[in-house]
Amino acid sequence: MLDSFILGLSSGSTCLITCGMVIFPYLMAGTAGTRKIITDLSFFLLTRFLVYFILATLAFYFGKVIFTSPVFRNYISGILYMLFSGMLIWYAISRSRKPDCPAKIVETVNNRKLVPVLLGVVNSLGFCPALMLILTKSATEGTIIQSYLAFLGFFAGTALYFIPVPIAGKFRKKKVFETIGVMATGLAGIIFMIKGLTSLIGGIIYG
Amino acid sequence: MNKFKMTAGIIWALVCLLLMIILYFGLGSFSAGLAKLPFMKLNPHASGGEIAQQIAMENCTLTIRKPVFDGLFGERKKGFVQVDWRGNIPEIINDTIDYNMDNSPDFVIGINRLEDKVNLVALNPNVRDVAISTSTSRGWAARVNIYNEK
Amino acid sequence: MDEAIKNLTTRKSFGKSLLYTLPMFLLTFILMTGGRPDFSDRSGTIALLTTFLGLNILYFLMHYTGKTDKFRAILFIVFALTLSFTLIKNTIDIRQTMTYSQGDILECNMPFCHLVIPMLILPAAFTQSIIYPGSILGGFASISAMVVLWLAASVTLGRGFCSWGCFYGGWDDGFSRFRKKPVIRKISDSWKWMPFAVLLMVALTSALALAPTYCDWICPFKAVTEFEQVTGIESAAKAGIFISLFGGLVVVLPVLTKKRTQCSYLCPLGAINTLSNKVTPFTVKIDRQSCNECYKCVQVCPMFALTNDDVKNGNVSIFCTKCGKCVDACPTQAIHYGIKGVPANRMVKFSRNLFLFVSFLFIAVFASGSIITVIKSIVNLFI
Repeated sequence: MLDSFILGLSSGSTCLITCGMVIFPYLMAGTAGTRKIITDLSFFLLTRFLVYFILATLAFYFGKVIFTSPVFRNYISGILYMLFSGMLIWYAISRSRKPDCPAKIVETVNNRKLVPVLLGVVNSLGFCPALMLILTKSATEGTIIQSYLAFLGFFAGTALYFIPVPIAGKFRKKKVFETIGVMATGLAGIIFMIKGLTSLIGGIIYG
Repeated sequence: MNKFKMTAGIIWALVCLLLMIILYFGLGSFSAGLAKLPFMKLNPHASGGEIAQQIAMENCTLTIRKPVFDGLFGERKKGFVQVDWRGNIPEIINDTIDYNMDNSPDFVIGINRLEDKVNLVALNPNVRDVAISTSTSRGWAARVNIYNEK
Repeated sequence: MDEAIKNLTTRKSFGKSLLYTLPMFLLTFILMTGGRPDFSDRSGTIALLTTFLGLNILYFLMHYTGKTDKFRAILFIVFALTLSFTLIKNTIDIRQTMTYSQGDILECNMPFCHLVIPMLILPAAFTQSIIYPGSILGGFASISAMVVLWLAASVTLGRGFCSWGCFYGGWDDGFSRFRKKPVIRKISDSWKWMPFAVLLMVALTSALALAPTYCDWICPFKAVTEFEQVTGIESAAKAGIFISLFGGLVVVLPVLTKKRTQCSYLCPLGAINTLSNKVTPFTVKIDRQSCNECYKCVQVCPMFALTNDDVKNGNVSIFCTKCGKCVDACPTQAIHYGIKGVPANRMVKFSRNLFLFVSFLFIAVFASGSIITVIKSIVNLFI
């Protein structure tokens, strides 16, 4: 478990930057204070924990065959990115709309839990080399408990990097930061959209 | 206070005037001075990494650079090693490369320059694939993706 | 009121205008020739003299007519066109194509432009290195030289760099002047904060990738300079993005809105230069007593730097690029160039003269190289 924790520590900074480019603007765009941001962050980390739990189970029982398949990786990450990007862009648009907009779906996307939860899913399934190593390790562990412990160590190592994120709540007081945060969230959505499209198209063309 | 602000503003404006006049006269010196600052060097991702070894061959020189794993914080799990050929290089290249200088070959790279085809045989499990293989003004360069041993 | 306007006019007599042009005359001649004029090459001499005279005539007219924007815009647009021409010609001469290859990137042969600067900051802070594949010192458009030029211009002119220095701004400035009246008039004021969002995202993504992501993916000016060879899906996507952005933000929207939409909505360097407006001593001031609240300045401002509330409060926002459009448009000359600390409607002529000298000197020398190159190429066609 210790080596998984160290692996998590070494790759967590990359996770922070990958996620940071979405979570920081998103948190800036909100009107919540530091306490509420801690709630959002908790949802994000809890989601990552649950996804890792599921991955540990799948890795142990189905081995590394599924997860090392490039086609599987391209399609899954591509579709996920596209879904997530659509949600981010919709969120950015809905935040800029007038308050009397009657479309109910706007309220759903504005639900503060949805973004951190989906962000947690995307971040967990990023299929970075560190995650691939942990999946391989879990697939070769003797028992399911050992598989879970490997993922737990990895999760703990990466989670440490997200502790300073609630500082973003300090920016909420200035309206201009909120505006910039909303716009940056939309831009992050576009980035994920392009990433997802190239991943999907690459998967379709190259097989 | 108002007079002080006014005077300060005018003096600052006049300083800007002087600065603009000397800017172009001293551009060479200012640039050279800036270039000496510690952060004014190319990141290995841009430059390809420091030269680790140069091997003189029949008509050309083979340069093997140090592997690049630099990340924003520390080292990354994935990186690359860049290999350059300079001089009168043959149309078909087939070279065995030991990038970590442990006296065991790490990969064999074969390049058909005419057809722009490249073939990689990995002898070290850390060697992944070819990222870039391209002609340069002085010959040919290739970047091979590798995993960090550490 | 009429007497006040007459006293404030920044027009000068012919003789006085010539006198004010003389220092610019001398400095531009020395700087353009390097102090050692060489008239041996005929086409070079014609190009040099034409450029030299053209620049100084524009400066003279700024003093003689009392107008700033249209003469600035002539030079600004010519600079953008000639620089693109020079870069494209240079690329085609060397590579027979407008595209650059992976080999050019690996050899760190990429000319540096100031738009890269926002992406260098975080990586330079953490890795103590520059993530751009260019030349640190020496050669064409070296990193050090461009950073020095940008720093000096930002400190002295603030966001004035965007109207008196940026060699891309002339594109959307030019297209914004196509129509007499805008087709799209009502644009939300919030969009002017978009460059800050772009700055945040390119800074983060460049730090993650250790590569200048704005240049790689979304710089619209790749359409008029050089771009990566299309060899796969990713490079095709990049080409699609920058062509769309150029068409949309640099051509179509400026024509329809008469605003500089690329500079106002996308440019991350514009966001940093907005902050440098706090440093520069030069500004644009509104004299509340002379102002008749016609809001013509608000209508003509191409950078969303003025709102009706700003005019009522007598403040121009930090988005101002000091282009001079509002100054020229104001019927009562209530809005004018000023120096921070000096109250509005005081030392108007001194402030304008000083600002014009500083800003024009910068752009004149900066632009002269590419203008001379283009004129020389044209002359070589005939002789």
